[in-house]
Amino acid sequence: MAHSRKATLTAYLFLTPAMVLLLAFAFWPVGFGSYIAFTQYNLIDAPVWVGLENFRELFDDELFIGSLKNSALYLIVVPVIQVLAILLAVLVNNNLPGIKFFRAAYYLPVVTTVSVIGIIWNFMYNDDGALNAILRWLHLINEPIGFLTDDRIALFAVMFVTIWRGLGWYMVLYLAGLQAISADVYEAATLDGANAWQKFWRITVPLLLPTILLCSIMSMLAAVKAFEEVQIMTQGGPFQSTYTALYYAYEFGIKSLNFGRALAASLVMSVVCMLLAWLNFRYLQPKNP
Amino acid sequence: MKTNRIAKTALLLAGLALCGQAQAAKQRLEFWTQSLAPKFAPYFKDVVSRYNASNAHVEVVWVDYPWDVIRTKFTAAIASGKPPAMANMDVPWAYEYKQKGLIQSVDPLVDKSQYVGGALKDVTFDGKLYAFPFYNGANVIAYNTELFKKAGLDPKKAPGSLTEQLNYAKIIKAKTGVAGFAPTLGPTKLEGLMAQEGLEVLKDGRAVFNSPAHVALVNKLADAYKAGALLKDNLFAQDNFQVSMAAYNSGRLAMLVSVPAAMTRVRDDAPGIYKVTDVAGLQLSPTGIASGGWQFTFVVPRNVDAKLLPEIGKFGNYLTNAENQLAFSRFAGTLPTSKRAAQDAHFQTYPTNAGAVEKAVVAAAKNLEQTRTIYLGGVKDAELLSTRLSAAVEQAVTGRKDTKQALDEAVAFWNKKLGKS
Amino acid sequence: MSQAQTMPAIAPSSASALQRGLRSARLRRIVRRLPHYLLLSVLAIITVYPFWWTLVTALSTTGDVYSFPPPLWPQDPSLVNFIEVFDTIDLLAFYKNSLLISGATVVGTLVICSLAAYPLARMQFPGRKLVFGAIIATMILPAEINFLVNFITVSKLQLTDSVTGVVLPNLAGAVGIFLMKQAFEAVPQDLIDAARVDGANEWEIFWKIMLPLAKPALGALAILTLVTAWNQYIWPSVVMTSPENFPLSVGVQYLSGSFSFKTRVVAAGAVLTVIPILIVFLFTQRYFLRGFDGAVK
Repeated sequence: MAHSRKATLTAYLFLTPAMVLLLAFAFWPVGFGSYIAFTQYNLIDAPVWVGLENFRELFDDELFIGSLKNSALYLIVVPVIQVLAILLAVLVNNNLPGIKFFRAAYYLPVVTTVSVIGIIWNFMYNDDGALNAILRWLHLINEPIGFLTDDRIALFAVMFVTIWRGLGWYMVLYLAGLQAISADVYEAATLDGANAWQKFWRITVPLLLPTILLCSIMSMLAAVKAFEEVQIMTQGGPFQSTYTALYYAYEFGIKSLNFGRALAASLVMSVVCMLLAWLNFRYLQPKNP
Repeated sequence: MKTNRIAKTALLLAGLALCGQAQAAKQRLEFWTQSLAPKFAPYFKDVVSRYNASNAHVEVVWVDYPWDVIRTKFTAAIASGKPPAMANMDVPWAYEYKQKGLIQSVDPLVDKSQYVGGALKDVTFDGKLYAFPFYNGANVIAYNTELFKKAGLDPKKAPGSLTEQLNYAKIIKAKTGVAGFAPTLGPTKLEGLMAQEGLEVLKDGRAVFNSPAHVALVNKLADAYKAGALLKDNLFAQDNFQVSMAAYNSGRLAMLVSVPAAMTRVRDDAPGIYKVTDVAGLQLSPTGIASGGWQFTFVVPRNVDAKLLPEIGKFGNYLTNAENQLAFSRFAGTLPTSKRAAQDAHFQTYPTNAGAVEKAVVAAAKNLEQTRTIYLGGVKDAELLSTRLSAAVEQAVTGRKDTKQALDEAVAFWNKKLGKS
Repeated sequence: MSQAQTMPAIAPSSASALQRGLRSARLRRIVRRLPHYLLLSVLAIITVYPFWWTLVTALSTTGDVYSFPPPLWPQDPSLVNFIEVFDTIDLLAFYKNSLLISGATVVGTLVICSLAAYPLARMQFPGRKLVFGAIIATMILPAEINFLVNFITVSKLQLTDSVTGVVLPNLAGAVGIFLMKQAFEAVPQDLIDAARVDGANEWEIFWKIMLPLAKPALGALAILTLVTAWNQYIWPSVVMTSPENFPLSVGVQYLSGSFSFKTRVVAAGAVLTVIPILIVFLFTQRYFLRGFDGAVK
């Protein structure tokens, strides 16, 4: 299609407000930040160029490498959270009496204050806590499980809280997606003799693909950037088994006023995130109509 | 509708700018405190209005920010070139800001005769004073007398040393099944614990925490851990105050070592436990340091308007003088850094019917001169090193590694890092 | 599970015991759905429990806060802790600030993101792929550290301590643009062609066809933005220099002062923070979850 100059102008007019804001508040800090990653900088005096020193320090540190690995491992939450969120959305995609309250209930963790989440999950995970009590009652265990004190389990325990917190959020997105699917399509399929399972796989999933793409990118990026849960529950322990890359950057960068290192870590994360996003687009993007 | 809102905001801003100009004749001196509003609003408003009334050419303004916000705000304010005149920081934070060159020495501004010597030493970095001393804290031990009785221990006799505390904890665990003690073994806290036992972490710029004495200390902790006497929750995290507080308040922990002000949390959140709580002081370390000192100070940003400095000096000395400190300490349950305030009866005696809160203040105030804030200073990347030390102690205490070996490895890591800088 | 399987056996008999009519039909529908409800309830307990604990803590006036195991019902319930919240901080002012910030963020985001998404979805012009790629990149890069640089920018624009300063950097969200682009792409080309034949220009197509058809997406984006804006914490606390301009998320921190920490009052503050957004969610979900076909007819 030939581009007329007027059409191009119109397109950019539509784009201008967003572009101006993104330039000022997204590209500028990233650009400036990437420069800072190669310097020593204290906010007042001019940055001093130190080349790759910040990166060398990072990769010299076993803890940072471990943190990166944990952030990668954290990606396990993505498929789990997506599958559960879709199932949950299907479960509440109806007009049963009271369904609105159930939707709101599932949404509650999304809006519950972080500090409360910390207190509660410490109760849940404690040696004398609710989870251990239930498991003992079911005679599944004799000794309490140290959910947050055993380094083989702690990271997964933290991940579970991430899943718990995010489920409602993705449920809402999938619900919006589900409700956008016309009932006619399902009726036609029913006439063709499809069962519920076939309808789910042949209609729901393909038509939800745009939403799945969006959600999986969002949750992937959230997963590799996870750090709030670590901060409120384990602070990186036990045995440094729950350090994530961003928690590392926060602890040894921002908090200790080492901005060069914080931004270097951030830059490393950027590369990882770019890679992940590219994979997503490559394998989940539906063909444009 | 949105343009309307922006227009309104713009108008509002213009209005604010005009107001600012009208008052430009007076110098504005803004100081920040952390997490003291709204409880202390009447106190600071009174302190400020008395000062403003007798100093016509400055306008002192008090602003309070929550503790988890103030540090970021302070950093951002310095970066934007419009910092406050003074900000409330604890000693390690003040040290870090000094290391990065973000705050300035207040040596010429401070009236040193006002303050306790130990408090001044806390904020003297590289031979220069970097902050106005404000309030201090020191540890006391609070204990659940009911659990003591159940364990057959004398509730009149509190364990004053770490060794005693660990022994008590083992007995309590064996007799009652409840964890006895929650020491802080996390990053940046172990240095204090070692100093408390008279053990050095650094000597002549080298790490030395793998001596037989250090190994023995860690083994003592490991012993108690194996017996189940230590509260496991966040034991090796930077901050186990919240969880150990919750455990003490729910009767799952027998002893809580903390500052006097923490007793109010027990009183308000767990009245049942508070009734059976008694409090005692702790022993000084072999080197004569009181346990758990933690001082809060006022620092001055480096890029503050130089013309304002004389006023900052005058106001800083006033804000932290004996009268103001005494009034503050009475209200907050903290310890003063002012010599004269420390002489007051409030810190010397308590009525016979006093509760744990009042007793704790007197017990903590006994060794004011020896109350020092202990942290790892003078090294690059202190937090990273601290984290490594804590990790080694965690491996040793939990029996994952031989103590000597774990400490040796951490010492090697430290010296490699220290050697580079 | 075993319980779920016995349900259908009970359902008909219990239904026949009741009078026939509309009410029993409705009841039968619920009874038949009992396994479904059971599953929904189990999940609800898991998600609601922490909030329930907070509510119980805030409503109780006696007993120890951290008693173990935690109590399931309030002890000597009363509203004193909530009243103390109102006495301690100017809650209404914080509500107003939060409302202003969240409202402006939601409206601004919807406008700016849909404007930007339209040409990306439905127009051909040079640089389209580049622009879209750049926008997506901002979503991908970790932005957690951007706030320092952004504060310097906001301060140079003389926007510190203003709602505009808090809101501006958050309006052009890549997630929003992406979401709207997906929605616009789903609009049938026939509708656009028909409008063009009728002489509509791009703006009219955007305003009269695209936006109404994208209502579900706008609704979803609105609620996502609302939650983020409402819970946003670090950025508003940095931009607002006067504490009286803080939003609720920052303002309630004044309940946990260094020497005045009362867990029950803090819990009451947390409840008061969450409730408005929950109410909004409860009452707007029908609107923003309404399907496409409803909007077309």
